[in-house]
Amino acid sequence: MTGIDDVRQRSWDFGLTIITVVLLAALGVQSFLGTLWVWYSERAVSGWEQSAGYTDYVSMMNVIAAPQVVALVVVMGLCVPKRLFSRAGLLAVSAGMMIAGVAAGLYTQSLTTGLTVYLALAAVIQVAVVALTVAGVRGPSYLTHGRLTKTGSGLLHLGFIVFAIVVVALQRSPLMLPVFSACAILVTVGTALSFYADKLAWHRVPVDEEASFDATEESDS
Amino acid sequence: MNPQQTYNGITDALRVADTIGGPLQVVLTIAAVLLALIALLPATRSWRDRALASVGGLLLAGEGVLIWLHWRLWQLAVVVDPSTGQITGHVAAPLWIESEKLYAWALLTCLMGVLLRRQRSELLSGVMLIVAALTAGGALLGQPFTNPLPSFLGQYVGYLQAMTQGGQAAQQGFFGMEGARQGYYNAWYMWVHPPLLFMSYGAFAISFVATWKMIRERHSAFETTAYRWARLGYLPLTLGMLLGLPWALMSWQGEAWWWSGKVNMSIMMWMLYTAYLHARLYLRRRNMWRTVATLAVLSFAILLLTYVATYVVPGAHSYALLAPSLRALATGSLGGLS
Repeated sequence: MTGIDDVRQRSWDFGLTIITVVLLAALGVQSFLGTLWVWYSERAVSGWEQSAGYTDYVSMMNVIAAPQVVALVVVMGLCVPKRLFSRAGLLAVSAGMMIAGVAAGLYTQSLTTGLTVYLALAAVIQVAVVALTVAGVRGPSYLTHGRLTKTGSGLLHLGFIVFAIVVVALQRSPLMLPVFSACAILVTVGTALSFYADKLAWHRVPVDEEASFDATEESDS
Repeated sequence: MNPQQTYNGITDALRVADTIGGPLQVVLTIAAVLLALIALLPATRSWRDRALASVGGLLLAGEGVLIWLHWRLWQLAVVVDPSTGQITGHVAAPLWIESEKLYAWALLTCLMGVLLRRQRSELLSGVMLIVAALTAGGALLGQPFTNPLPSFLGQYVGYLQAMTQGGQAAQQGFFGMEGARQGYYNAWYMWVHPPLLFMSYGAFAISFVATWKMIRERHSAFETTAYRWARLGYLPLTLGMLLGLPWALMSWQGEAWWWSGKVNMSIMMWMLYTAYLHARLYLRRRNMWRTVATLAVLSFAILLLTYVATYVVPGAHSYALLAPSLRALATGSLGGLS
């Protein structure tokens, strides 16, 4: 990779990270507004939780959250396997997955089915990413260092996609508990490895030196 | 089971807890004030370690009293099916519900503060202030010794009252109490979910203190400390919240819990801490530390609001709309038993 490619790669990574942060914050803001809505409705309407108003509110929250969750999964899909495909290829794969999800949703007239198809495809890609990471292939690209940490990050993201599948598609299914258990294991092991893999690793990645932020900013400018 | 004898046994246990814990509640409140003063006054800097450890000791002593009380309540609080006369089980009230929530958070944060090593001298006063606030709140607002477990006791005494009446009332009382026993008090989830969350709250509180120092000192060493405590908090927070899903799906069937106030606030808190952990990957970028600091402070503010939401915003998680009949039972205005 040339120096210019490296700079572009870093800008792309940074851009995706910022989009992730913005999406997470947006979901947070939605949750906060939802809390205010619940609080106000409970005060204004007696027995609101048992009324059609609550059902409408849940539907509205689901509809607002769904595109944000899909966007988060899209960003996740663009972030890690970017060296498996060219950037154009990666965008095409992501667009193809979305088209498949939309087509499934339109065909069955069900938002749930559309989301499930999209999430299932995302999970397949993430499984491939984790397998390649574990195998040590020079394809997946992470913001973190060390194979164990990267594996943890991959498992963590896979766990969240599986969690989204449980929420969207399996709430009333007999598969809910086993799939959920797998998700909980993926997320827990993934988080633990992401945070603490350096303590288990044979070869430790050196930590950045600590410094004053003012000094860092002066040296940047 | 003799409802009157059971009631008398519970009353005796509560009296013992009140006799020992009542003065302890006062001592804890005074200790919290002293801890705050020692944290703030430069002249008492050398006392800080011992002061925090002492409050930890007091909190542990109080926890011992609570464990005893819960053990006695478990022995006494049996549930009997009136149609068969068979005991279906004992009610095991977890040690971190109702009036004991803030106390559990104070205890765990205090223990973490005692174990704090990295940049201890710089962070200790901030941690002490948080522990002081939680301890005072746990003693004064929670009143875990003088007014323990009001909802549980109200519900259980209501069940005893129904059992003395017999007939349909006893059957209805049994179904309510047995449902609560299996689905709430004795559920594995209630023994795992709250302590995981209080562990994470304690770690996030220390992370917040380090973030505050980072903002004041503008040095990345404090950011590293804040991150280490935040990741320690993030793991139990994530696991605790995840475990909520299957339990809620099974136990809250037909109840309005999805997108309820507490769930929303918890999701918001998790989203913000996740955003913080992502943003700090670019800490070295120009001015990024300001974004990281903003997210860290905002996340902790939302954590506090999430805790408060339990008492303010109605919903399946909430104490905000405690049934009036339950309140009456909890305050002792009962008929049939005396």
